Amino acid sequence: MVLELQKPRPIWQIMFSTHHTDVGLLYLIMSLAFFFMGGVLALFIRIELFLPGPQIIADSMTFNRMFTVHGTTLIFLFILPFASAVGNYFVPIMVRYKDMAYPKLNAIAFWMLPPAGALVWLGFADFTWYAQPPYSVISAPAPAADMWIFGLKIIGISQVLGSINFIVTILKCKHPDLPLSKMPLMAWSFLSSSLIVIVAIPTFAAALLMLLTDRMGMSGFFDPNVGGDPIAYSHLFWFTFHPEVYVLVIPAIGMMYEIIPRFSRKPIFSHSSGVFAFIMLAMVSFASWAHHMYATGMSFTEKTVFMVGTLAAVPASAMHVFNFLATMWGGRIKFATPMMWSVGGIALFFAAGAGGVVNSAMPLDFITHDSYWVVGHFHLFVMGTIAFGSFGFAYYMFPYVTGRMYHEKLGQVHFVLSFVGAILVFFTQHILGLFGMPRRVYDYPPFPEWIAMNQIITMGAVLLAIGAAIWLGNFIYSMGRGKPADMEDPFKLGGKYYYPYQQKTPHHD
Amino acid sequence: MRSKIGLLVVFTIIFIIPTLNYAFAAGDEPGEYLDRRVVIWNLFFRMMVVAFTIGAVVSGTMVWLVWRFRESNPNAKPTKYEETGEW
Repeated sequence: MVLELQKPRPIWQIMFSTHHTDVGLLYLIMSLAFFFMGGVLALFIRIELFLPGPQIIADSMTFNRMFTVHGTTLIFLFILPFASAVGNYFVPIMVRYKDMAYPKLNAIAFWMLPPAGALVWLGFADFTWYAQPPYSVISAPAPAADMWIFGLKIIGISQVLGSINFIVTILKCKHPDLPLSKMPLMAWSFLSSSLIVIVAIPTFAAALLMLLTDRMGMSGFFDPNVGGDPIAYSHLFWFTFHPEVYVLVIPAIGMMYEIIPRFSRKPIFSHSSGVFAFIMLAMVSFASWAHHMYATGMSFTEKTVFMVGTLAAVPASAMHVFNFLATMWGGRIKFATPMMWSVGGIALFFAAGAGGVVNSAMPLDFITHDSYWVVGHFHLFVMGTIAFGSFGFAYYMFPYVTGRMYHEKLGQVHFVLSFVGAILVFFTQHILGLFGMPRRVYDYPPFPEWIAMNQIITMGAVLLAIGAAIWLGNFIYSMGRGKPADMEDPFKLGGKYYYPYQQKTPHHD
Repeated sequence: MRSKIGLLVVFTIIFIIPTLNYAFAAGDEPGEYLDRRVVIWNLFFRMMVVAFTIGAVVSGTMVWLVWRFRESNPNAKPTKYEETGEW
Protein backbone atom coordinates (compact mmCIF):
# COMPACT_ATOMS: atom_id res chain seq x y z
CA MET A 1 0.00 0.00 0.00
CA VAL A 2 1.13 3.51 -0.55
CA LEU A 3 1.05 6.81 1.19
CA GLU A 4 -0.95 9.55 -0.43
CA LEU A 5 -1.23 12.47 1.92
CA GLN A 6 1.76 11.95 4.20
CA LYS A 7 4.02 13.65 1.71
CA PRO A 8 2.22 16.80 0.53
CA ARG A 9 1.92 17.24 -3.22
CA PRO A 10 0.26 19.92 -5.32
CA ILE A 11 -3.38 19.02 -5.88
CA TRP A 12 -2.97 19.16 -9.67
CA GLN A 13 -0.39 16.36 -9.49
CA ILE A 14 -3.05 14.09 -8.02
CA MET A 15 -5.82 15.39 -10.29
CA PHE A 16 -3.90 14.73 -13.51
CA SER A 17 -2.31 11.52 -12.35
CA THR A 18 -3.33 8.17 -13.81
CA HIS A 19 -1.76 6.11 -11.06
CA HIS A 20 -4.27 3.77 -9.46
CA THR A 21 -3.84 5.13 -5.93
CA ASP A 22 -4.24 8.72 -7.09
CA VAL A 23 -7.38 7.86 -9.01
CA GLY A 24 -8.52 5.88 -5.96
CA LEU A 25 -7.96 8.93 -3.79
CA LEU A 26 -10.03 11.08 -6.16
CA TYR A 27 -12.82 8.50 -6.10
CA LEU A 28 -12.61 8.42 -2.30
CA ILE A 29 -12.85 12.19 -1.82
CA MET A 30 -15.64 12.58 -4.35
CA SER A 31 -17.71 9.70 -3.00
CA LEU A 32 -17.47 10.92 0.60
CA ALA A 33 -18.40 14.46 -0.48
CA PHE A 34 -21.51 13.11 -2.20
CA PHE A 35 -22.31 10.96 0.85
CA PHE A 36 -22.58 14.06 3.00
CA MET A 37 -24.56 15.96 0.36
CA GLY A 38 -27.05 13.10 -0.06
CA GLY A 39 -27.21 12.64 3.70
CA VAL A 40 -28.22 16.25 4.24
CA LEU A 41 -31.14 15.72 1.85
CA ALA A 42 -32.17 12.64 3.85
CA LEU A 43 -32.17 14.72 7.01
CA PHE A 44 -34.42 17.33 5.39
CA ILE A 45 -36.80 14.58 4.29
CA ARG A 46 -36.96 13.08 7.78
CA ILE A 47 -37.51 16.46 9.46
CA GLU A 48 -40.33 17.13 7.02
CA LEU A 49 -42.01 13.86 8.00
CA PHE A 50 -41.58 14.38 11.75
CA LEU A 51 -45.17 15.64 11.89
CA PRO A 52 -48.09 15.56 9.45
CA GLY A 53 -48.54 18.67 7.35
CA PRO A 54 -45.92 20.88 5.71
CA GLN A 55 -42.93 21.50 8.00
CA ILE A 56 -39.77 22.82 6.34
CA ILE A 57 -40.15 21.88 2.67
CA ALA A 58 -42.29 24.25 0.65
CA ASP A 59 -44.29 21.81 -1.48
CA SER A 60 -44.59 18.22 -2.61
CA MET A 61 -42.71 18.88 -5.86
CA THR A 62 -39.66 20.07 -3.92
CA PHE A 63 -39.99 17.04 -1.64
CA ASN A 64 -40.06 14.74 -4.69
CA ARG A 65 -36.97 16.44 -6.09
CA MET A 66 -35.15 16.01 -2.80
CA PHE A 67 -35.71 12.28 -2.43
CA THR A 68 -34.97 11.72 -6.12
CA VAL A 69 -31.59 13.42 -5.83
CA HIS A 70 -30.98 11.80 -2.42
CA GLY A 71 -31.40 8.30 -3.87
CA THR A 72 -29.53 9.01 -7.09
CA THR A 73 -26.63 10.61 -5.23
CA LEU A 74 -26.14 7.96 -2.61
CA ILE A 75 -26.41 5.01 -4.98
CA PHE A 76 -24.55 6.30 -8.01
CA LEU A 77 -22.27 8.96 -6.58
CA PHE A 78 -21.43 7.54 -3.16
CA ILE A 79 -21.66 3.75 -2.97
CA LEU A 80 -20.43 2.89 -6.47
CA PRO A 81 -17.53 5.38 -6.53
CA PHE A 82 -16.53 4.37 -2.99
CA ALA A 83 -16.23 0.77 -4.18
CA SER A 84 -14.20 2.04 -7.13
CA ALA A 85 -11.93 3.90 -4.71
CA VAL A 86 -11.27 0.74 -2.73
CA GLY A 87 -10.83 -1.32 -5.89
CA ASN A 88 -8.40 1.18 -7.36
CA TYR A 89 -6.30 1.17 -4.23
CA PHE A 90 -6.26 -2.54 -3.56
CA VAL A 91 -7.00 -4.65 -6.64
CA PRO A 92 -3.71 -3.96 -8.50
CA ILE A 93 -1.81 -4.61 -5.25
CA MET A 94 -3.75 -7.79 -4.61
CA VAL A 95 -3.07 -9.17 -8.08
CA ARG A 96 0.51 -7.89 -7.85
CA TYR A 97 0.45 -5.59 -10.84
CA LYS A 98 1.96 -2.12 -11.04
CA ASP A 99 -1.29 -0.31 -11.88
CA MET A 100 -4.70 -0.86 -13.43
CA ALA A 101 -4.57 -2.41 -16.90
CA TYR A 102 -5.62 0.84 -18.62
CA PRO A 103 -4.53 3.75 -16.42
CA LYS A 104 -5.75 6.52 -18.73
CA LEU A 105 -9.11 4.86 -19.18
CA ASN A 106 -9.24 4.59 -15.41
CA ALA A 107 -8.74 8.32 -14.99
CA ILE A 108 -11.30 9.04 -17.73
CA ALA A 109 -13.84 6.81 -15.95
CA PHE A 110 -13.36 8.87 -12.80
CA TRP A 111 -13.49 12.26 -14.49
CA MET A 112 -16.82 11.41 -16.08
CA LEU A 113 -18.42 11.35 -12.65
CA PRO A 114 -18.11 14.99 -11.49
CA PRO A 115 -19.95 16.35 -14.56
CA ALA A 116 -22.55 13.59 -14.16
CA GLY A 117 -23.01 14.56 -10.52
CA ALA A 118 -23.31 18.21 -11.54
CA LEU A 119 -26.05 17.34 -14.05
CA VAL A 120 -28.00 15.43 -11.39
CA TRP A 121 -27.64 18.16 -8.77
CA LEU A 122 -28.14 21.19 -11.01
CA GLY A 123 -31.18 19.61 -12.64
CA PHE A 124 -32.75 18.31 -9.41
CA ALA A 125 -35.26 16.02 -11.14
CA ASP A 126 -38.42 14.87 -9.39
CA PHE A 127 -39.33 11.45 -10.81
CA THR A 128 -37.63 9.17 -8.20
CA TRP A 129 -34.38 7.32 -8.74
CA TYR A 130 -35.97 5.03 -11.33
CA ALA A 131 -37.71 7.62 -13.47
CA GLN A 132 -40.91 5.66 -13.75
CA PRO A 133 -42.95 6.28 -16.92
CA PRO A 134 -45.49 7.45 -17.90
CA TYR A 135 -44.79 10.37 -15.51
CA SER A 136 -41.16 10.63 -16.58
CA VAL A 137 -42.20 10.67 -20.25
CA ILE A 138 -45.26 12.89 -20.14
CA SER A 139 -45.07 15.25 -17.18
CA ALA A 140 -41.62 15.39 -15.57
CA PRO A 141 -40.39 18.96 -15.99
CA ALA A 142 -37.53 19.71 -18.35
CA PRO A 143 -34.62 20.34 -18.28
CA ALA A 144 -34.26 18.61 -14.88
CA ALA A 145 -35.43 15.23 -16.18
CA ASP A 146 -33.23 15.39 -19.27
CA MET A 147 -30.22 16.44 -17.20
CA TRP A 148 -30.83 13.44 -14.92
CA ILE A 149 -31.03 11.13 -17.94
CA PHE A 150 -27.75 12.47 -19.36
CA GLY A 151 -26.13 12.31 -15.92
CA LEU A 152 -27.12 8.67 -15.49
CA LYS A 153 -25.96 7.90 -19.02
CA ILE A 154 -22.51 9.26 -18.22
CA ILE A 155 -22.39 7.37 -14.91
CA GLY A 156 -23.30 4.15 -16.77
CA ILE A 157 -20.48 4.64 -19.29
CA SER A 158 -18.06 5.38 -16.46
CA GLN A 159 -19.14 2.20 -14.67
CA VAL A 160 -18.67 0.06 -17.76
CA LEU A 161 -15.20 1.51 -18.41
CA GLY A 162 -14.23 0.96 -14.77
CA SER A 163 -15.53 -2.61 -14.83
CA ILE A 164 -13.65 -3.48 -18.03
CA ASN A 165 -10.52 -2.17 -16.34
CA PHE A 166 -11.04 -4.31 -13.23
CA ILE A 167 -11.77 -7.45 -15.26
CA VAL A 168 -8.71 -7.03 -17.50
CA THR A 169 -6.48 -6.12 -14.56
CA ILE A 170 -7.54 -9.19 -12.63
CA LEU A 171 -7.71 -11.74 -15.41
CA LYS A 172 -4.87 -10.58 -17.66
CA CYS A 173 -2.45 -8.61 -15.50
CA LYS A 174 -2.29 -10.64 -12.30
CA HIS A 175 1.05 -12.13 -11.42
CA PRO A 176 1.60 -15.49 -13.13
CA ASP A 177 2.49 -17.04 -9.77
CA LEU A 178 -0.90 -16.07 -8.35
CA PRO A 179 -3.63 -18.49 -9.39
CA LEU A 180 -7.23 -17.33 -9.28
CA SER A 181 -7.86 -19.88 -6.57
CA LYS A 182 -5.44 -18.03 -4.29
CA MET A 183 -6.48 -14.51 -5.20
CA PRO A 184 -7.83 -12.55 -2.19
CA LEU A 185 -11.59 -12.61 -1.86
CA MET A 186 -11.83 -8.86 -2.12
CA ALA A 187 -10.34 -9.04 -5.61
CA TRP A 188 -12.84 -11.80 -6.38
CA SER A 189 -15.64 -9.52 -5.25
CA PHE A 190 -14.52 -6.86 -7.72
CA LEU A 191 -14.24 -9.42 -10.51
CA SER A 192 -17.76 -10.73 -9.96
CA SER A 193 -19.37 -7.32 -9.52
CA SER A 194 -17.60 -6.02 -12.64
CA LEU A 195 -18.92 -8.96 -14.66
CA ILE A 196 -22.45 -8.14 -13.47
CA VAL A 197 -22.02 -4.51 -14.57
CA ILE A 198 -20.90 -5.53 -18.06
CA VAL A 199 -23.98 -7.69 -18.54
CA ALA A 200 -26.54 -5.53 -16.76
CA ILE A 201 -25.79 -1.92 -17.64
CA PRO A 202 -26.36 -1.99 -21.44
CA THR A 203 -30.04 -2.75 -20.86
CA PHE A 204 -30.52 0.37 -18.79
CA ALA A 205 -28.45 2.36 -21.27
CA ALA A 206 -30.97 1.35 -23.94
CA ALA A 207 -33.90 2.13 -21.63
CA LEU A 208 -32.53 5.61 -20.92
CA LEU A 209 -32.12 6.28 -24.62
CA MET A 210 -35.70 5.15 -25.26
CA LEU A 211 -36.90 7.33 -22.37
CA LEU A 212 -35.09 10.32 -23.83
CA THR A 213 -36.47 9.86 -27.34
CA ASP A 214 -39.93 9.38 -25.83
CA ARG A 215 -39.57 12.66 -23.98
CA MET A 216 -38.46 14.37 -27.18
CA GLY A 217 -41.56 13.07 -28.96
CA MET A 218 -39.53 11.00 -31.40
CA SER A 219 -40.80 7.66 -30.14
CA GLY A 220 -43.43 6.19 -27.85
CA PHE A 221 -41.87 3.12 -26.27
CA PHE A 222 -43.21 3.87 -22.79
CA ASP A 223 -45.93 6.42 -23.56
CA PRO A 224 -49.40 4.81 -23.26
CA ASN A 225 -50.93 7.69 -25.27
CA VAL A 226 -49.28 6.32 -28.40
CA GLY A 227 -49.50 2.64 -27.55
CA GLY A 228 -46.31 2.39 -25.51
CA ASP A 229 -45.96 0.24 -22.41
CA PRO A 230 -44.64 1.76 -19.14
CA ILE A 231 -44.28 -1.74 -17.68
CA ALA A 232 -41.67 -2.51 -20.36
CA TYR A 233 -39.53 0.22 -18.81
CA SER A 234 -39.89 -1.44 -15.41
CA HIS A 235 -38.61 -4.71 -16.84
CA LEU A 236 -35.66 -3.01 -18.52
CA PHE A 237 -34.91 -0.97 -15.41
CA TRP A 238 -35.05 -3.87 -12.96
CA PHE A 239 -33.14 -6.19 -15.28
CA THR A 240 -30.26 -3.79 -14.70
CA PHE A 241 -30.92 -2.61 -11.20
CA HIS A 242 -31.68 -5.77 -9.36
CA PRO A 243 -28.24 -7.12 -10.38
CA GLU A 244 -26.94 -3.64 -9.60
CA VAL A 245 -27.96 -4.21 -5.97
CA TYR A 246 -25.46 -7.05 -5.99
CA VAL A 247 -22.92 -4.75 -7.66
CA LEU A 248 -23.32 -2.57 -4.60
CA VAL A 249 -23.30 -5.31 -1.98
CA ILE A 250 -20.63 -7.68 -3.34
CA PRO A 251 -17.68 -5.25 -2.98
CA ALA A 252 -18.89 -4.39 0.54
CA ILE A 253 -18.79 -8.10 1.41
CA GLY A 254 -15.35 -8.24 -0.18
CA MET A 255 -14.23 -5.43 2.12
CA MET A 256 -15.50 -7.43 5.12
CA TYR A 257 -13.47 -10.41 3.86
CA GLU A 258 -10.39 -8.21 4.16
CA ILE A 259 -11.17 -6.91 7.62
CA ILE A 260 -12.63 -9.88 9.52
CA PRO A 261 -9.72 -12.36 9.19
CA ARG A 262 -7.22 -9.58 9.91
CA PHE A 263 -8.90 -8.50 13.13
CA SER A 264 -9.75 -12.09 14.15
CA ARG A 265 -6.06 -12.96 13.72
CA LYS A 266 -6.97 -16.01 11.65
CA PRO A 267 -7.13 -16.81 7.94
CA ILE A 268 -10.54 -16.84 6.32
CA PHE A 269 -12.39 -20.04 7.19
CA SER A 270 -13.10 -21.10 3.60
CA HIS A 271 -11.68 -19.23 0.65
CA SER A 272 -13.29 -21.54 -1.89
CA SER A 273 -16.80 -21.16 -0.45
CA GLY A 274 -16.37 -17.38 -0.60
CA VAL A 275 -15.43 -17.60 -4.28
CA PHE A 276 -18.30 -19.97 -4.95
CA ALA A 277 -20.76 -17.67 -3.19
CA PHE A 278 -19.58 -14.64 -5.19
CA ILE A 279 -20.02 -16.52 -8.48
CA MET A 280 -23.42 -17.83 -7.37
CA LEU A 281 -24.58 -14.32 -6.40
CA ALA A 282 -23.40 -12.93 -9.73
CA MET A 283 -25.46 -15.54 -11.59
CA VAL A 284 -28.64 -15.52 -9.54
CA SER A 285 -28.68 -11.73 -9.50
CA PHE A 286 -30.20 -11.97 -12.97
CA ALA A 287 -32.92 -14.39 -11.92
CA SER A 288 -34.95 -12.14 -9.69
CA TRP A 289 -35.59 -8.75 -11.28
CA ALA A 290 -39.34 -9.12 -11.64
CA HIS A 291 -39.90 -9.61 -7.91
CA HIS A 292 -40.06 -5.81 -7.89
CA MET A 293 -43.11 -6.08 -10.14
CA TYR A 294 -45.45 -8.67 -8.61
CA ALA A 295 -48.18 -6.03 -8.50
CA THR A 296 -48.09 -5.35 -12.25
CA GLY A 297 -50.38 -8.21 -13.21
CA MET A 298 -47.91 -11.01 -13.82
CA SER A 299 -49.21 -14.55 -13.95
CA PHE A 300 -48.94 -16.86 -10.96
CA THR A 301 -46.34 -18.97 -12.77
CA GLU A 302 -44.14 -15.97 -13.60
CA LYS A 303 -44.32 -14.76 -10.04
CA THR A 304 -43.38 -18.18 -8.72
CA VAL A 305 -40.38 -18.36 -11.05
CA PHE A 306 -39.08 -15.02 -9.79
CA MET A 307 -39.85 -15.92 -6.19
CA VAL A 308 -37.72 -19.05 -6.51
CA GLY A 309 -35.07 -17.07 -8.43
CA THR A 310 -34.92 -14.57 -5.59
CA LEU A 311 -34.68 -17.26 -2.94
CA ALA A 312 -31.75 -18.75 -4.87
CA ALA A 313 -29.64 -15.87 -3.55
CA VAL A 314 -30.22 -17.01 0.03
CA PRO A 315 -27.77 -19.96 0.12
CA ALA A 316 -24.97 -17.85 -1.39
CA SER A 317 -25.59 -14.98 1.03
CA ALA A 318 -25.77 -17.43 3.93
CA MET A 319 -22.41 -18.92 2.86
CA HIS A 320 -20.82 -15.50 3.29
CA VAL A 321 -22.40 -15.02 6.72
CA PHE A 322 -21.32 -18.49 7.91
CA ASN A 323 -17.86 -17.92 6.48
CA PHE A 324 -17.55 -14.74 8.54
CA LEU A 325 -18.83 -16.40 11.71
CA ALA A 326 -16.59 -19.44 11.28
CA THR A 327 -13.60 -17.14 10.74
CA MET A 328 -14.33 -15.30 13.98
CA TRP A 329 -14.81 -18.59 15.84
CA GLY A 330 -11.64 -19.44 17.75
CA GLY A 331 -10.02 -16.11 16.91
CA ARG A 332 -8.67 -13.43 19.22
CA ILE A 333 -10.74 -10.58 17.94
CA LYS A 334 -9.68 -6.98 18.26
CA PHE A 335 -12.77 -4.79 18.16
CA ALA A 336 -11.17 -1.74 16.62
CA THR A 337 -13.44 0.52 14.60
CA PRO A 338 -13.18 -1.32 11.23
CA MET A 339 -14.08 -4.64 12.89
CA MET A 340 -17.04 -3.10 14.73
CA TRP A 341 -18.43 -1.79 11.44
CA SER A 342 -17.94 -5.16 9.77
CA VAL A 343 -19.65 -7.16 12.52
CA GLY A 344 -22.48 -4.60 12.66
CA GLY A 345 -22.75 -4.84 8.88
CA ILE A 346 -23.04 -8.64 9.02
CA ALA A 347 -25.80 -8.43 11.63
CA LEU A 348 -27.78 -5.93 9.58
CA PHE A 349 -27.04 -7.87 6.36
CA PHE A 350 -28.65 -10.90 7.94
CA ALA A 351 -31.66 -8.85 9.06
CA ALA A 352 -31.99 -7.24 5.63
CA GLY A 353 -31.72 -10.65 3.97
CA ALA A 354 -34.46 -12.06 6.19
CA GLY A 355 -36.68 -9.12 5.21
CA GLY A 356 -35.85 -9.82 1.57
CA VAL A 357 -36.97 -13.43 1.88
CA VAL A 358 -40.26 -12.24 3.32
CA ASN A 359 -40.53 -9.66 0.55
CA SER A 360 -39.92 -12.19 -2.18
CA ALA A 361 -42.82 -14.34 -0.96
CA MET A 362 -45.57 -13.01 -3.16
CA PRO A 363 -48.42 -13.14 -0.63
CA LEU A 364 -46.67 -10.71 1.70
CA ASP A 365 -45.26 -8.70 -1.18
CA PHE A 366 -48.78 -7.56 -2.04
CA ILE A 367 -49.20 -6.23 1.49
CA THR A 368 -45.86 -4.46 1.59
CA HIS A 369 -45.74 -3.21 -2.00
CA ASP A 370 -45.02 0.52 -2.27
CA SER A 371 -45.19 0.85 1.50
CA TYR A 372 -42.56 2.03 3.96
CA TRP A 373 -41.58 -1.62 4.40
CA VAL A 374 -39.81 -1.39 1.03
CA VAL A 375 -37.99 1.78 2.11
CA GLY A 376 -36.85 0.06 5.30
CA HIS A 377 -35.76 -3.11 3.49
CA PHE A 378 -33.79 -1.31 0.79
CA HIS A 379 -32.13 1.07 3.22
CA LEU A 380 -31.23 -1.73 5.59
CA PHE A 381 -29.24 -3.20 2.71
CA VAL A 382 -27.66 -0.04 1.35
CA MET A 383 -27.02 1.69 4.66
CA GLY A 384 -26.93 -1.18 7.13
CA THR A 385 -24.82 -3.51 5.04
CA ILE A 386 -23.13 -1.71 2.15
CA ALA A 387 -22.43 1.62 3.83
CA PHE A 388 -21.42 -0.11 7.09
CA GLY A 389 -18.92 -2.26 5.20
CA SER A 390 -17.70 0.81 3.33
CA PHE A 391 -17.37 2.96 6.47
CA GLY A 392 -15.40 0.18 8.17
CA PHE A 393 -13.10 0.00 5.19
CA ALA A 394 -12.71 3.78 5.14
CA TYR A 395 -11.36 3.53 8.70
CA TYR A 396 -9.20 0.55 7.67
CA MET A 397 -7.72 2.47 4.72
CA PHE A 398 -7.21 5.69 6.62
CA PRO A 399 -3.68 5.02 7.96
CA TYR A 400 -2.54 3.68 4.58
CA VAL A 401 -3.87 6.71 2.74
CA THR A 402 -2.80 9.43 5.17
CA GLY A 403 0.03 7.88 7.17
CA ARG A 404 -1.82 8.88 10.34
CA MET A 405 -4.28 7.21 12.69
CA TYR A 406 -7.81 8.40 13.20
CA HIS A 407 -9.16 8.90 16.74
CA GLU A 408 -10.21 5.40 17.80
CA LYS A 409 -12.79 6.35 20.44
CA LEU A 410 -14.53 8.78 18.10
CA GLY A 411 -14.64 6.05 15.45
CA GLN A 412 -16.36 3.76 17.93
CA VAL A 413 -18.82 6.49 18.95
CA HIS A 414 -19.59 6.94 15.23
CA PHE A 415 -20.30 3.22 14.94
CA VAL A 416 -22.53 3.01 18.03
CA LEU A 417 -24.59 6.05 17.02
CA SER A 418 -24.95 4.71 13.48
CA PHE A 419 -25.87 1.19 14.59
CA VAL A 420 -28.55 2.41 17.00
CA GLY A 421 -29.71 5.01 14.46
CA ALA A 422 -29.92 2.45 11.65
CA ILE A 423 -32.02 0.11 13.79
CA LEU A 424 -34.34 2.92 14.88
CA VAL A 425 -34.79 4.18 11.32
CA PHE A 426 -34.94 1.07 9.20
CA PHE A 427 -36.57 -1.46 11.52
CA THR A 428 -39.27 1.08 12.36
CA GLN A 429 -39.80 1.78 8.66
CA HIS A 430 -40.58 -1.93 8.18
CA ILE A 431 -43.28 -1.77 10.88
CA LEU A 432 -44.60 1.54 9.56
CA GLY A 433 -45.04 -0.16 6.18
CA LEU A 434 -47.04 -2.96 7.76
CA PHE A 435 -49.21 -0.25 9.34
CA GLY A 436 -49.97 0.87 5.80
CA MET A 437 -48.00 4.08 5.30
CA PRO A 438 -47.13 4.46 1.60
CA ARG A 439 -43.63 5.49 0.59
CA ARG A 440 -42.69 8.71 -1.21
CA VAL A 441 -45.36 10.83 0.44
CA TYR A 442 -44.90 14.45 1.40
CA ASP A 443 -47.70 14.44 3.97
CA TYR A 444 -49.74 11.85 5.85
CA PRO A 445 -52.96 11.71 7.87
CA PRO A 446 -52.50 12.24 11.61
CA PHE A 447 -52.84 8.61 12.73
CA PRO A 448 -51.19 8.38 16.17
CA GLU A 449 -49.22 5.23 15.23
CA TRP A 450 -47.90 6.81 12.03
CA ILE A 451 -46.89 9.99 13.84
CA ALA A 452 -45.12 8.08 16.64
CA MET A 453 -43.21 5.86 14.23
CA ASN A 454 -42.24 8.77 11.97
CA GLN A 455 -40.88 10.57 15.00
CA ILE A 456 -38.84 7.53 16.05
CA ILE A 457 -37.45 7.32 12.51
CA THR A 458 -36.53 11.00 12.49
CA MET A 459 -34.77 10.67 15.84
CA GLY A 460 -32.81 7.72 14.46
CA ALA A 461 -31.90 9.81 11.41
CA VAL A 462 -30.61 12.55 13.71
CA LEU A 463 -28.39 9.96 15.46
CA LEU A 464 -27.04 8.90 12.06
CA ALA A 465 -26.36 12.53 11.19
CA ILE A 466 -24.53 13.19 14.48
CA GLY A 467 -22.43 10.07 13.88
CA ALA A 468 -21.59 11.23 10.35
CA ALA A 469 -20.62 14.69 11.61
CA ILE A 470 -18.29 13.09 14.19
CA TRP A 471 -16.78 10.97 11.43
CA LEU A 472 -16.15 13.98 9.22
CA GLY A 473 -14.55 15.93 12.06
CA ASN A 474 -12.46 12.91 13.08
CA PHE A 475 -11.10 12.36 9.57
CA ILE A 476 -10.40 16.03 8.83
CA TYR A 477 -8.62 16.52 12.18
CA SER A 478 -6.70 13.23 12.04
CA MET A 479 -5.53 13.79 8.46
CA GLY A 480 -3.50 16.75 9.62
CA ARG A 481 -2.86 16.13 13.31
CA GLY A 482 -3.51 12.45 14.00
CA LYS A 483 -0.81 10.30 15.52
CA PRO A 484 1.61 8.99 12.88
CA ALA A 485 0.61 5.43 12.00
CA ASP A 486 2.92 2.47 12.35
CA MET A 487 2.85 1.46 8.71
CA GLU A 488 4.03 -2.07 9.42
CA ASP A 489 1.11 -2.72 11.76
CA PRO A 490 -1.22 0.27 12.17
CA PHE A 491 -3.84 -1.66 14.15
CA LYS A 492 -1.38 -3.47 16.43
CA LEU A 493 -2.59 -6.88 15.38
CA GLY A 494 0.75 -8.56 14.95
CA GLY A 495 1.50 -10.85 12.07
CA LYS A 496 2.20 -9.85 8.54
CA TYR A 497 -0.14 -7.86 6.42
CA TYR A 498 -0.94 -9.25 3.04
CA TYR A 499 1.17 -6.80 1.09
CA PRO A 500 3.96 -5.54 3.30
CA TYR A 501 6.40 -5.00 0.44
CA GLN A 502 4.12 -2.33 -0.99
CA GLN A 503 4.16 -0.33 2.21
CA LYS A 504 7.89 0.11 1.92
CA THR A 505 7.93 1.22 -1.68
CA PRO A 506 5.54 4.11 -2.09
CA HIS A 507 5.53 5.07 -5.74
CA HIS A 508 6.17 8.75 -5.05
CA ASP A 509 9.69 8.13 -3.76
CA MET B 1 -19.38 -35.18 5.79
CA ARG B 2 -20.32 -35.35 2.11
CA SER B 3 -22.89 -38.04 2.78
CA LYS B 4 -24.46 -35.86 5.47
CA ILE B 5 -24.69 -32.94 3.06
CA GLY B 6 -26.14 -35.26 0.43
CA LEU B 7 -28.72 -36.51 2.89
CA LEU B 8 -29.63 -32.92 3.78
CA VAL B 9 -30.09 -32.05 0.09
CA VAL B 10 -32.30 -35.10 -0.43
CA PHE B 11 -34.49 -34.24 2.57
CA THR B 12 -34.75 -30.63 1.41
CA ILE B 13 -35.86 -31.70 -2.04
CA ILE B 14 -38.34 -34.16 -0.57
CA PHE B 15 -39.82 -31.31 1.47
CA ILE B 16 -39.88 -28.61 -1.24
CA ILE B 17 -41.12 -30.50 -4.30
CA PRO B 18 -44.46 -31.70 -2.84
CA THR B 19 -45.08 -28.21 -1.48
CA LEU B 20 -44.55 -26.60 -4.87
CA ASN B 21 -46.62 -29.34 -6.50
CA TYR B 22 -49.52 -28.43 -4.26
CA ALA B 23 -49.15 -24.79 -5.20
CA PHE B 24 -49.24 -25.65 -8.90
CA ALA B 25 -51.80 -28.45 -8.69
CA ALA B 26 -54.76 -26.28 -9.55
CA GLY B 27 -55.34 -25.02 -13.06
CA ASP B 28 -56.44 -21.51 -14.01
CA GLU B 29 -60.14 -22.41 -14.24
CA PRO B 30 -62.62 -21.10 -11.67
CA GLY B 31 -64.17 -23.50 -9.19
CA GLU B 32 -60.95 -25.33 -8.59
CA TYR B 33 -60.74 -27.58 -5.57
CA LEU B 34 -57.44 -26.27 -4.28
CA ASP B 35 -57.18 -22.69 -3.00
CA ARG B 36 -53.73 -21.63 -4.13
CA ARG B 37 -53.72 -18.59 -1.87
CA VAL B 38 -54.25 -20.76 1.19
CA VAL B 39 -51.49 -23.08 0.05
CA ILE B 40 -49.06 -20.26 -0.62
CA TRP B 41 -49.86 -18.55 2.68
CA ASN B 42 -49.22 -21.85 4.46
CA LEU B 43 -45.93 -22.12 2.66
CA PHE B 44 -45.16 -18.57 3.68
CA PHE B 45 -45.91 -19.18 7.35
CA ARG B 46 -43.74 -22.28 7.34
CA MET B 47 -40.96 -20.25 5.73
CA MET B 48 -41.34 -17.61 8.41
CA VAL B 49 -41.06 -20.19 11.19
CA VAL B 50 -37.88 -21.55 9.59
CA ALA B 51 -36.52 -18.02 8.95
CA PHE B 52 -37.09 -16.82 12.50
CA THR B 53 -35.64 -20.01 13.99
CA ILE B 54 -32.49 -19.76 11.87
CA GLY B 55 -32.37 -16.02 12.52
CA ALA B 56 -32.45 -16.53 16.27
CA VAL B 57 -29.73 -19.19 16.11
CA VAL B 58 -27.44 -17.14 13.86
CA SER B 59 -27.95 -13.89 15.78
CA GLY B 60 -27.39 -15.68 19.09
CA THR B 61 -24.25 -17.31 17.72
CA MET B 62 -22.94 -13.95 16.55
CA VAL B 63 -23.54 -12.31 19.94
CA TRP B 64 -21.83 -15.22 21.71
CA LEU B 65 -18.89 -15.13 19.26
CA VAL B 66 -18.37 -11.43 19.88
CA TRP B 67 -18.47 -11.94 23.65
CA ARG B 68 -16.39 -15.12 23.81
CA PHE B 69 -13.64 -14.44 21.28
CA ARG B 70 -12.96 -10.75 22.00
CA GLU B 71 -9.34 -10.23 22.91
CA SER B 72 -10.27 -8.79 26.32
CA ASN B 73 -12.05 -12.01 27.36
CA PRO B 74 -10.09 -13.68 30.22
CA ASN B 75 -10.18 -16.96 28.29
CA ALA B 76 -8.80 -15.45 25.08
CA LYS B 77 -5.56 -17.01 23.93
CA PRO B 78 -3.40 -16.37 20.87
CA THR B 79 -4.45 -18.26 17.76
CA LYS B 80 -2.04 -20.76 16.31
CA TYR B 81 -1.55 -18.45 13.34
CA GLU B 82 -0.17 -15.67 15.50
CA GLU B 83 2.96 -17.70 16.22
CA THR B 84 3.94 -17.80 12.57
CA GLY B 85 2.43 -14.44 11.73
CA GLU B 86 0.83 -15.93 8.61
CA TRP B 87 -2.87 -15.34 8.11
